[in-house]
Amino acid sequence: MAVADDLRNIVIVARREYFSRLRTRTFVFSTVALMLLVTLLAAAPIAITWIGRGSNGSKVVVYTGPRVSLAASDVASSLNAQLNTDPTDPAIDASVTTDLAAARTAVVDGKLSGLLDIERQGSGDLAFTYVTTANPSLERLPLLMEQATSSIAIQDRLTRLGISPGEQAGVFAKADFSTVDPTAGQGGPTTGAEQAARFGIGFGLTILIFMAILLYGQWIAQSVAEEKSSRVMEVILNAASPFQLLGGKVTGVGALALTQYIVIAIPAGLVLLFQGQLSSLILGGAAQPSSLPQGISVALLAVFGLFFLLGFGLYSVLYAAAGSLVSRQEELNQLIGPLTMISTAGYLIAAWSASGLVDLERFPMTLLSYVPFLSPYLMLARFSSGGAGPIAVLIAAVILGLTIVAALWVAARIYSAGVLLYGQQPGFRKVWAALRAGR
Amino acid sequence: MSLTFDAVRKRFGSVQALDGISFSVEPGQVFGFLGANGAGKTTAMRICLDMIRADSGSVTLDGVPSMDLPRRTWGYLPEERGLYPRMKVLDQLAFFASLYGLPEGRARQEARDWLARFRVPDYADRRADQLSKGNQQKIQFIAAILHDPPVLIMDEPFTGLDPVNVALLKQAFLELRDRGKTLVFSTHQMEMVEEVCDALAIIDRGRLVVQGPMREVKRSTGKQVVRLAVAGDPDLPWLPGLPGVTVTRSGRDYTELEMGDGLDPETVLQAALSRGERVTHFEITEPSIERIFVEHVGRPVEAEDERTLAAAPGTPSAAGV
Repeated sequence: MAVADDLRNIVIVARREYFSRLRTRTFVFSTVALMLLVTLLAAAPIAITWIGRGSNGSKVVVYTGPRVSLAASDVASSLNAQLNTDPTDPAIDASVTTDLAAARTAVVDGKLSGLLDIERQGSGDLAFTYVTTANPSLERLPLLMEQATSSIAIQDRLTRLGISPGEQAGVFAKADFSTVDPTAGQGGPTTGAEQAARFGIGFGLTILIFMAILLYGQWIAQSVAEEKSSRVMEVILNAASPFQLLGGKVTGVGALALTQYIVIAIPAGLVLLFQGQLSSLILGGAAQPSSLPQGISVALLAVFGLFFLLGFGLYSVLYAAAGSLVSRQEELNQLIGPLTMISTAGYLIAAWSASGLVDLERFPMTLLSYVPFLSPYLMLARFSSGGAGPIAVLIAAVILGLTIVAALWVAARIYSAGVLLYGQQPGFRKVWAALRAGR
Repeated sequence: MSLTFDAVRKRFGSVQALDGISFSVEPGQVFGFLGANGAGKTTAMRICLDMIRADSGSVTLDGVPSMDLPRRTWGYLPEERGLYPRMKVLDQLAFFASLYGLPEGRARQEARDWLARFRVPDYADRRADQLSKGNQQKIQFIAAILHDPPVLIMDEPFTGLDPVNVALLKQAFLELRDRGKTLVFSTHQMEMVEEVCDALAIIDRGRLVVQGPMREVKRSTGKQVVRLAVAGDPDLPWLPGLPGVTVTRSGRDYTELEMGDGLDPETVLQAALSRGERVTHFEITEPSIERIFVEHVGRPVEAEDERTLAAAPGTPSAAGV
């Protein structure tokens, strides 16, 4: 019967917590605002392409001197072909001119980005002069022009050596090149791009956990402190046990956190998932098939869900205990400070590992990834980068789960005594006193 | 169902809050728990409700330790009133009652009935922070009894209520008692105890001073009280000169005096008549609970306590007839 009573009261407390916060204006506004913001961020690539859609690339004209055997139009189309690799975002729009002086003036006036003047030197080689007002150290185009012209020069030399255009194509064929990492485990990332994507995704997921603990953990602590300062605590303490109250609060606020996350994530996720279709709808062009972004897998999302729930559970139980110890709201930050610091430390280590400052696969860090307060960040980061397998995840999760049981016991004890203590300065002595006096 | 405290002790640091308290409350009784602030009343109640654990001793209800009883056994009105400020009254009442296991529909219906009985049916849809303190207190009383507990524990239930609401609450007390509920309440307002209690206990600095049915407690000092009024001179300057007589209250309506052990109250009447006074009022009565308190504790309930001041029985204006 006791278990049934526990469950019933946890549900009742959680339901009150959930709905009373859900109905507040702050919650509704912040959720809608965040949803819009995140959806806009997800749609940013489409928007950027859409904004750049009107431009056809920088206007450049090509002039060929009298002894140049190449046709200016061939050079222009060669430049267009070489530099405009992305058809939706062309880099240049090259055309032909015969009036060198007029073109120079146009460059000075800013009507043209540049003028490519090609002359034949006495040695027989081609000389390329790029006339532009652009600063070569700030803009990409002069550099790209240099690379493009050198291949035109080589083609010209080959032609003069009597090599046919068909043979030239063979000379310019791409080399057979690949990268291999001998230390990469099975199932690990195979290309550099995939590796980077995995680090990025893992880091993004740890941010989500960090924010949830910081934001919603604070809510729980505040909610307990509010009940205590409005003195309603003693009334409910007669009706429900500290364990039921704690469990209900963590469940209710946790469910609310998930609600907010899902409401924010669904539109953004849909935009990401159907980025291809959306961009073809808005920008035209062929639709790409929808797929999960690179680096995200169902297994990774499952591990993220696991560590999200466990990590949030552990921290929020302790945040609730901290809330029960304060008499006034202002004292709250003092008590939850140490908890927030531990959480931030875990998050920072994960961030450093994503940027390559810390190697999570080296000895002291591997051990840290099993430590309960840090594992939600570190083990998740290791799993997403391919450094930790399912067994390591399982061990860390079990340790975390056991810690939550211990934390619940400690927190319920602190809570039952803490909520009846008023008018003392919070501190470790008070925590200790509450721990001893609790039931 | 008899509620029994047996040698309950509790120490907070260097303070012995309860020093071996033993007493019994019979079923269907209204039991008053008297003491100054800090005497240990709240601690005793919290131990009874298993909010804190005693260092030693036990609290049992019909032989069952209080901590083993289901939570719905107890209704509790704490000293510090508290409600969720931004929650509607009916919603909170349903919330509290459902924690005790009452189905929500029934909780709402009973809550409406009680609101009507306290003459505030339209408060159901108001937020708690829109109500006055006294009305919030009524809501809290309803919250304590909504799940129909056999035992009701109340810490200073009358503090802060106006006379109309005090009367309503007293009426509710007697009604609950008639339904067989056991009511225990603490107070430092002595006249409340006289009016509604069947039995009482006086506690001072963690020790039980006296306890039992009202009549027995009143007789425990062995002293009798005489109320005397004469036509004309209300001062009666000759009275303190009588052997064994102590004037405990002198007012324009009557003078109250206490007779020493074994003295016959008739001697006062004869003394008055022999002085040629025209006696308009002569009454032999039992000492007030206030007198009993002073007798046993050696001092009145602290008058410096702010909340006591308004209704302090020691001030002449408040001494009821």
